[in-house]
Amino acid sequence: MTGKDPVPQAKAAQQESSLESRYRKLLEAAPDAILEVNQEGQIMLLNEAAERMFGYSRGELLGLNVESLVPASMRGGHARHRASYAERPNTRPMGTGLELQGQRKDGSLFPVEISLSPNWIAGSLHVIASVRDISERKSVEDRLRALREQYTAELTIKNEQLEARNLEVERANSQKTEFLASMSHELRTPLHTIIGFSELLTEQLEGPLTEKQQRFVGHILQDARHLLELINEILDISKIESGRLELKRESFDFSQIVEEVLGGVRHQAATKNISVENKNSFRHSLYADRLRVKEILYNLLNNAVKFTPDGGRVWLESFGERDTLHIAVCDTGIGIPAKEHPSIFEKFYQVGDTTGGVREGTGLGLPITKHLVELHGGSISVESRPGAGSRFILTLPLREPGT
Amino acid sequence: MKRILIADDRATSRELLRTVLERQGYAIIEAADGEEALQKARAEAPDLILLDLQMPRRTGYEVLLELRSDPRHAALPIIAITASAMQGDRERALAAGFTGYLTKPVALAQLRSQIHSLLTDGNSAGPGGN
Repeated sequence: MTGKDPVPQAKAAQQESSLESRYRKLLEAAPDAILEVNQEGQIMLLNEAAERMFGYSRGELLGLNVESLVPASMRGGHARHRASYAERPNTRPMGTGLELQGQRKDGSLFPVEISLSPNWIAGSLHVIASVRDISERKSVEDRLRALREQYTAELTIKNEQLEARNLEVERANSQKTEFLASMSHELRTPLHTIIGFSELLTEQLEGPLTEKQQRFVGHILQDARHLLELINEILDISKIESGRLELKRESFDFSQIVEEVLGGVRHQAATKNISVENKNSFRHSLYADRLRVKEILYNLLNNAVKFTPDGGRVWLESFGERDTLHIAVCDTGIGIPAKEHPSIFEKFYQVGDTTGGVREGTGLGLPITKHLVELHGGSISVESRPGAGSRFILTLPLREPGT
Repeated sequence: MKRILIADDRATSRELLRTVLERQGYAIIEAADGEEALQKARAEAPDLILLDLQMPRRTGYEVLLELRSDPRHAALPIIAITASAMQGDRERALAAGFTGYLTKPVALAQLRSQIHSLLTDGNSAGPGGN
């Protein structure tokens, strides 16, 4: 069958033909290949895109069986599809979910998307097929998929590495805790007898001691206690730093523990003739870790007594204001230079050469105190000048956390 | 005269406690490990036991549980002594049935007063921690 342009109708269809040529232009402008195929499978109409897409000339395509445009392996199936389409013809995409391919004149294959519509011509079913070349889209999709798979593989490896590292860290951490626990235990055991027997000696119940012997035993006792303090504080600070310290909060009478703590430092203060005053005005209960609050207050008061020369004064002020308990531990001691204020809360820092030889303590008391205050949700700061005494100011929340 | 059983695997620790407590007027029985502690507790019927928790051949906990399972010793004052200082240790000990809990180094004054109150109240004391 040769391709023949349809002969224009009689002049009454002049309008018709101008409309027709506009439709033809529309068709020719379409980027997708558009074909009309008859019941036998022959191509009846086509557009320029079809020529370009499949590599045939118009003359070659007209009358050509549409199966020639289908890859050889799919041709049998294609014929069957056409038959089943004829049974239920409607406008729909072809082969949803299938990977469709077209075959060019040179035999090369390319991926396509196809939509079909029925067109009845003189009682016979013709099928209009719109074919889209999706090679470029497919290659982009394939590239994206490959990239995604690559990233997923890399992510999986990274995750596995991270998990392995996490396990290592956890293991190291728990080893460290076990080590600390057993070390602390091992160190305290001999101290038990060192301190115990020293105390017995000083009690002189096993016989009198000369003044020198008393003094010597006193030295042993003092340093043994110092060692114990150091061990306890190292354990504490390592617990705090590894996040393992838990507060045991309860409601307790604040003024009572103030009394207890002040009582604890009065003995030491008396030996230096330092007065210890209670200026607490908070008479309610505090919801906090009782033991740790005592530790905080004791630490600050102990420092106050330690750094105050004979005849000085140490006192504790406190008051409640809305949701906050304000506490200040004050002394008339040697004071701390402003430039050292940040450093005093650091581990092992001991106030410098201006302290006139006071170099006792472990250097851990203030860092631990600061941690404990902050664990409670409070804050601590210092006001001090050399020669003008010191004020350690801390706040503790009165509300239960979260209420 | 009240009798106190001291169980600790270190001889110096035992000597320390013996010295302190004999001065208080108590008679002392010693045990060097958990097994011996159990034997002597049953054989000698002490009025109070000081039990170190880290002993060979039976831990302090094991000795406690064995003793408490016997109705004769259900109310016997048994004080745990340990150099461990991990959080929760005290609560665990008291929950397990120890009457008291002391950490080494033991403050002698505390030891004396705790034992005194446990033995002069006629063994009816509750947990009397640190």
